Amino acid sequence: MILSPARWRRPRTDWLRSIATALVALIAWEALARALAGTYLIAGPLEIASYLSDHAGLILRATGWTALAAAGGYVIGNLTAIALAAVAILIPGAARLISSLALIVFCLPLVATGPILRVLWGPGLGPQVTLAALAVYFTTFLPLQVGLRAAPPNWFDLVRSYGRGGWTALVEVRAMAALPYLIAGLQIAAPAAFLGALVGEFTGAERGMGVLTIRAMRSLDVAGTWSLATIAAAVSMLAHAGIGWLWRRLDDAPPPLILASLPDARTDRRWATRLNLILVVLVVIALWWLSMEFAGLNRFFAKRPDDIWAFLVTASGAADHRTTLFAALGQTLSLALPGYALGLALGLGLAIALLMLPALARAIMPLAVALRAIPIVITAPLVVVAMGRGATGTITITAVMTFFPTFIACYQGLKRTPAALIDLFESYAATRWERLTLVQFPAMLPAFFSAARMAVPAAILATTTAEWLATGHGIGGLMALTASTSDYGMLWSSVVLLALVAVAAYAAIERIERAVLRRYGAEQLVR
Amino acid sequence: MLVERGSDIGPGITCEGLSRIFGTGAARIDALAPTDLQLDGGRTTAFVGPSGCGKSTLLRLIAGLDPPSAGRVRIGAETPLEMRRRAGLSVAFQDAALLPWRSVRGNIALARKLARMTPDPAKVDDLIATVGLAGFEDRRPADLSGGMRQRAAIARCLATDPQLLLLDEPFGAVDELTRARLNQELPALWQARGVTAVMITHSISEAVRIADRVVVLSPRPARVVADIAVPLPHPREKGPALDALIEEVGAALARHAPAPPPARIAS
Repeated sequence: MILSPARWRRPRTDWLRSIATALVALIAWEALARALAGTYLIAGPLEIASYLSDHAGLILRATGWTALAAAGGYVIGNLTAIALAAVAILIPGAARLISSLALIVFCLPLVATGPILRVLWGPGLGPQVTLAALAVYFTTFLPLQVGLRAAPPNWFDLVRSYGRGGWTALVEVRAMAALPYLIAGLQIAAPAAFLGALVGEFTGAERGMGVLTIRAMRSLDVAGTWSLATIAAAVSMLAHAGIGWLWRRLDDAPPPLILASLPDARTDRRWATRLNLILVVLVVIALWWLSMEFAGLNRFFAKRPDDIWAFLVTASGAADHRTTLFAALGQTLSLALPGYALGLALGLGLAIALLMLPALARAIMPLAVALRAIPIVITAPLVVVAMGRGATGTITITAVMTFFPTFIACYQGLKRTPAALIDLFESYAATRWERLTLVQFPAMLPAFFSAARMAVPAAILATTTAEWLATGHGIGGLMALTASTSDYGMLWSSVVLLALVAVAAYAAIERIERAVLRRYGAEQLVR
Repeated sequence: MLVERGSDIGPGITCEGLSRIFGTGAARIDALAPTDLQLDGGRTTAFVGPSGCGKSTLLRLIAGLDPPSAGRVRIGAETPLEMRRRAGLSVAFQDAALLPWRSVRGNIALARKLARMTPDPAKVDDLIATVGLAGFEDRRPADLSGGMRQRAAIARCLATDPQLLLLDEPFGAVDELTRARLNQELPALWQARGVTAVMITHSISEAVRIADRVVVLSPRPARVVADIAVPLPHPREKGPALDALIEEVGAALARHAPAPPPARIAS
């Protein structure tokens, strides 16, 4: 799903409306905080402001460290994404393998990868930077893959008609055609990098906002937790807005987002799919094993594929290991699935509601776009404090994490219905309901499905983070426990299992997406 | 007639048993029936035929942008690929294929860059003036009308001094008045230089006005059903000789027109 990088020019009245909405929200927030004073749930804006001024030096230093790690990961992750996407274009045979590998790495549960990286890297910025890079590269890689193909075939014929090949096409045509997609990816990546750095700090860094967040949460410091969440949100929104601003400065007449529909040329032959699957599994195992061997990492904490196999299948306690692991996974999924489904339904529902109420949409949308930039996981402690340590809190945080990207993608997908089609419906005086069901809803489907796909690892991250930081249940709790008791066999097994579940869920949604789009909009099958 | 490389006259084109089939089984579409053709160097040949008959396919096969299902194409002594590699040909695409992030000037200069030629700003500006786009050099394609875009695409084609021009409906989106003017002025640009040109059009009068030879194709799969020489000097003015040829081409097209579908609309 490609979100437009920004709305290029907004009339002044829209800005005023957004500011008014923000003010109303702030006042409502303060009022709520005052009404609930003494319940240790909400800190209002004024309380946050006074906390921030009291601890300005500490928070400023912590923010600096986290921002440094996030920036490092942002650069590394995005450069990797660009290189991967370019290779996938230049060597068409490798595209499928690269996409599969990229997806698997994206599906690694950040929360569990953190402690392992901490052991591998030791103290310092290493894990934060790595996690930030892991958190951003896929959100850049995916739109780039679409963007690099988003040009009409004639443009490539032009290059070929002068006897030039794939490299020239990449430089002269694809790179520029992909630019708006890249910017969209880079914007989404900014808050994701911050989130990755924070999660990295949860796993035992010496300094940074993640450390302060954990400390504030453990001591039930409501004002501190809310202040840190506010700062993280502000930094993310600034980075998001800053990239949009920079892009507008670079090019005041941006190339339009070209949604060229490629024919789904790759006939999905079953044997090719299976062959690819086998190849991917072999490459993953080889890369995993070889990188550990070459780095000479100790088998005690750097487990190899055969260690995991032994731990879960052949070792003496393997049956017990499996029981523990799958029980924890079941517990996690019983919360992640309802949260994910709820988030999707709410996102889709609100998008449709706002489409029907344009006046409300004009006030709410800018706020929602800004809120999207917040790394929602940092609110996990708050939500758990507010909703309790039971299932409700975890389901809520998962739903919120899924809700925002789904809502914005669906709304923009609904709005992207070709104007000519709307005119056609107007010319027959069609009702709003007919317009919605016959044109706008089908036009939105690709956006909805790509949001649903991308939200899978996010939902798992949200559930496991809540379990890790607050409830202690499920696979998140299990990973926290095994990380502190150095039970690396179980920790690695958790990582592998969660990644497999995420990849399977992603692939399942992709399959549904293909089936639905083939029926309701074959020309929209871009990938 | 094959023309040696290096001579002033553009190369001739030989198609031997050239055919193209898309898809297989139930989805099989025969676009071009096996065709033998010999196009003289330095001349302009126009292909006319009903919509969707496979004219564009033939042009793409000559350019080597699509592989033939059978048969082969020779341009002079070269294959289409060899010809493209040394930037000997230019294609004007039906939808102009201008890059939206480049200005008119940038798009035209791009052809020389792709052809690995030295930049030649004076030549680019000359061409812009010739196609009537002076004053629009720095505009982007989004600011231009459909006809202006096609004129920019034609200027881009000529920027590399090709020996072979392949034009796919080059004036399709140009308004009637401008089209008449371009039909007079532009062919002179390549015909005086001995460039070989192959043009696809659905306008019979345009074909007869510009080309030295008009080849009429049947509905799909395309076959040559008439081959009409136009032995008139340039520039061609309206007159009985031109009208007679227009009628002849029109009659050939009509003889092979697809049967009209049975009437199904109840009144």
